[in-house]
Amino acid sequence: MKKLINDPKDFVPEMLKGIALANPKTLKYIPQYNLIMRTDIPMANKVSIMQGSGSGHEPAHVMVVGRGMLDAACPGNVFAAPPADFVYHTTKLVASPKGVLHLLNNYTGDTMSFNMGREMAEADGIEVRTVTINDDVAVKGSLYTVGRRGVAGNFFVIKATGAAAERGTSLEDLEKLGNRVVENVRTMGMALTGCTPPAKGTPIFTLGEDEMEMGIGIHGEPGRKRVKLERANKIVDEMLEAVASDIPFKAGDEVALMINGMGGTPISELYLLYGYVHEQVEKRGMKIKRNYVGNYCTSLEMAGYSLTLLKLDPEIEELLAAPAEVAIRVF
Amino acid sequence: MSKDVEFVVKLIANTVIKNEQYFSELDGVVGDGDFGYSIARGFEKVVNEWDTVDHSLPSNTLKGVSIKIIGAVGGVSGPIWGTAFLRAGIALGTKPEINREDVIVMFRAAIEGIKKRGNADLGDKTLLDALVPAVDQLEKSFKDAKDTGAALDKAATVARASAEATRLMLAKRGRAAYTGERSIGTLDAGAIAIAILFEAISKAWKE
Repeated sequence: MKKLINDPKDFVPEMLKGIALANPKTLKYIPQYNLIMRTDIPMANKVSIMQGSGSGHEPAHVMVVGRGMLDAACPGNVFAAPPADFVYHTTKLVASPKGVLHLLNNYTGDTMSFNMGREMAEADGIEVRTVTINDDVAVKGSLYTVGRRGVAGNFFVIKATGAAAERGTSLEDLEKLGNRVVENVRTMGMALTGCTPPAKGTPIFTLGEDEMEMGIGIHGEPGRKRVKLERANKIVDEMLEAVASDIPFKAGDEVALMINGMGGTPISELYLLYGYVHEQVEKRGMKIKRNYVGNYCTSLEMAGYSLTLLKLDPEIEELLAAPAEVAIRVF
Repeated sequence: MSKDVEFVVKLIANTVIKNEQYFSELDGVVGDGDFGYSIARGFEKVVNEWDTVDHSLPSNTLKGVSIKIIGAVGGVSGPIWGTAFLRAGIALGTKPEINREDVIVMFRAAIEGIKKRGNADLGDKTLLDALVPAVDQLEKSFKDAKDTGAALDKAATVARASAEATRLMLAKRGRAAYTGERSIGTLDAGAIAIAILFEAISKAWKE
């Protein structure tokens, strides 16, 4: 394992300390809950929005804490949901009279932890609502699995609800808005390499020189199938078909399109992919109103990318365009 | 048998800490490799902060340990193992001493807690697939004979065999579930952890 780290056990705290020191006016760091939160919340007439999830997906979520996006993020260890206590205490710290919105990526650990944390906060009289994000098309949601995973599409839920919250939108309406984004966003990912969590010290999986993994999640877990590496356009064809056919997206739809790097892929390759995806999406009769190319929801140093399509309506489109100020500036 | 609860809990904690690397390796095959790390940190806290827990009753020990685990362990392990200890503790009520019947009651309560929290059952390829058969065997052995040591031994054997059998199962819970058919052929880390713990308890009982 070759990383720029000290003791692997200190990976997350040292990263969080760095974020806070780099943003002293706007962010504060509370070590006992791995918490990064805005210095100016809670605000009396604004719902507070928080997320948990694991570390290892940066910039998701600690680096999208800021005005117009998340008010707080309390990640767990790398690829692990935070303890329920982190969720409970963070909810208490950010709670405003208008309530707290939990944004939850659909994973077993996240769900358990957030359920328990929410129950404890509700026992203290805090109103909490939850939007569960499950945009991944690679894993079939069924009775026999835990359902579809929440992946890069969570960015759009954060951006839309964050913008609406700044305008004083009620907790109930934020929940509806978040769910509407979830219903209209779909993602699929692939990988050229595995990745190595610092505490583990070895890669979670390894791929041969001529192999790729299709249908990966964001935690370094293997995907649905391992196949021979193809040319970029062919990879895009398969993934775009899987994503576009899921809702399905139709000719005439206005969309936001994201090419998200998994952390280890150069931005040159992401734009190379974008060029072909853009043309293919337009060939299907869709109109691309907004596009996002870069690292939004990564898996440490994994090489690969995910493709996200979000069906827009005028309200969501306007919320995506609204100003925001976070540690990384992607707008 | 009150001191026995403390003894067994400490034994569980130390066994988990010892096996941190192994558990993570197991979890890395079709998961994300965090199981060993997450749960070892939690049990380290349990050991280091042992004296801050109220040990006046066995139930308080178990509840206190549960709170430490829920507080320190994320992922799926925190809620699952924390709930297991909590339910076991609640099931003991205010009993100052526990007997063999109580042991089974504790385990059954823990199993129900795990099932509910995890929305899982036998056959989903989880720790339950080792824990339930082991406890079934323990209950049977306790009914059939007086020898606690032999009963634990048999339970450990069943736990190990059941855990090894998870290799052939399709995962329906946890991150392994996302890999579909590819989860067949790998051991479930939670089930193996249960086998290792039963084996450790059985061995320590003889000494």
